[in-house]
Amino acid sequence: MTENTALPNMTSMFAATSSLVSMQPKLEVRNLNFRYGDFQALKSIGMDIPEKKVTAIIGPSGCGKSTLLRVFNRIYAVYPGQRADGEVLLDGEDILDVGYPLHGLRSKVGMVFQKPVPFPMTIFENIAWGIRHHERLSKADMAARVEQALRRAALWDEVKDKLKRNALGLSGGQQQRLCIARSIALKPEVLLLDEPTSALDPIATGRIEQLIEELKRDYTLVIVTHNMQQAARVSDRTAFMYLGELVEFDDTERIFTKPAKQQTEDYISGRFG
Amino acid sequence: MTLLDIYFRRRAVNMTAMILSGLAAAVGLAFLVWILWVTLKSGLSALDLKLFTKITAYGAEGGLSNAIVGSLVMDLIALAICAPVGVLAGTFLAEYASRTKLGAVIRFLNDILLSAPSIVLGLFVYMIVVLPMSNLSHGAVSFSGLAGAVALALIGLPVIVRTTDEMLQLVPGTLREAALSLGVPQWKLTVQVLMRAAVSGIVTGVLLALARLAGETAPLLFTAFGNNFMAFHPLNKMESLPIAIYQYTNDPNPALHAIAWAGALLITLFVLLLSLSARWYLHRHKVTHD
Repeated sequence: MTENTALPNMTSMFAATSSLVSMQPKLEVRNLNFRYGDFQALKSIGMDIPEKKVTAIIGPSGCGKSTLLRVFNRIYAVYPGQRADGEVLLDGEDILDVGYPLHGLRSKVGMVFQKPVPFPMTIFENIAWGIRHHERLSKADMAARVEQALRRAALWDEVKDKLKRNALGLSGGQQQRLCIARSIALKPEVLLLDEPTSALDPIATGRIEQLIEELKRDYTLVIVTHNMQQAARVSDRTAFMYLGELVEFDDTERIFTKPAKQQTEDYISGRFG
Repeated sequence: MTLLDIYFRRRAVNMTAMILSGLAAAVGLAFLVWILWVTLKSGLSALDLKLFTKITAYGAEGGLSNAIVGSLVMDLIALAICAPVGVLAGTFLAEYASRTKLGAVIRFLNDILLSAPSIVLGLFVYMIVVLPMSNLSHGAVSFSGLAGAVALALIGLPVIVRTTDEMLQLVPGTLREAALSLGVPQWKLTVQVLMRAAVSGIVTGVLLALARLAGETAPLLFTAFGNNFMAFHPLNKMESLPIAIYQYTNDPNPALHAIAWAGALLITLFVLLLSLSARWYLHRHKVTHD
């Protein structure tokens, strides 16, 4: 793992060229509506999220981008009064169906939050705890699995000598990579990132963005971000949302150079939002 | 008004507020120090070995050993009853019923229990423990240490419920979401993450409850009753420090007053020790985070 922590340079502003984006959808969203009590936060959303690509969701505060992300692993279901209807197909199966097993869904669709939230345990236990719920591993296998996850999250070199220390002692950027490691240790297929760098400094942000680049070889990533440069840097596809509606969804390069809708252009050129 | 006028006026207002709040703090503290001073002065002079070796039956020639043992036995049984129930009830309120009507009702009732007069709790336990046990023993009134402990548990219970509830609610919601998004069930999240995150607060609550119930007199009057002889078995009547103090201060004999002061000092030191260990525990727990 290189120690290059500089921000990705701007010449590689666009992570991928549009025509090469594979259109094999991992997640298919069909006519999705979402309500917080009486307030409708998502209005008939429809989109295909491509496999092993980075999809960014952008839009002004309150547009529903985090809400959309929280539907993909049904974490919203923790709160009474929050309801989703419509269809969200993961490999063709509707995850909103009451029959879809929740713990299976959450091991397939991992989530990383805005603020790093390590559990009050050792660094090792932070990773092992989630795995233990889904699989029974021998001590050696577990150690290997934890190491693999930490390596994958570019954190191994920094923590390998202090795996037994409390995870709360890590820096913010390290904690966020620990949270990513915790999610990928479950071998998910999709990784949801809800503004994963908004609480981090530019150097830590650079490392996370680098990590996103590497992770998309194996995972389907969906990232919600307030930072449009970040969306442009890391994503292959970008969705622009406004007031609970999906305004435009296209290849990132297209969204940032010649968007089809005036609203999208106004937002990315900073005229509102 | 010039800028200088504004400056001096603000200084004057600031000074007045500071003096008034400082005085208020001094008045409060003065009484606390006074109480501690009197207890220490009067208690220390009566503090001797026979306090711990002799029972109250010897009166002025005796000590408080049966009261100390009774207090310890009843406080520990009370804690064994109210700590698990309180922690579980607080967990239920914070994790399973936090936004429900049921939760709101239970919280309200718990607050009533928290402020209920302790003599009422004593009478209640007389009704539900002492009388039924008397019927079992063919009419002999069955005051017992166990009944006293149940009454004390009712004093400590709402304190523990409340602190557990509040401490768990202080754990950030994102921690819950992060654990649930790993597909972990609610009970594992509660026991292995949330309890661990809130453990220092919960332990502090339990120690505070113990400090609170250790000083109670009224709940013991109709339950443990008092006993001038040594009793270890909780089905016997039991003496306790607060009851001994209450009885000795009502006696005209000044020698008994002195022993009562020594008992008061013992309770005060016990509570002080509990507070200190709570602080020490909190501090130690914090250090491991860094």
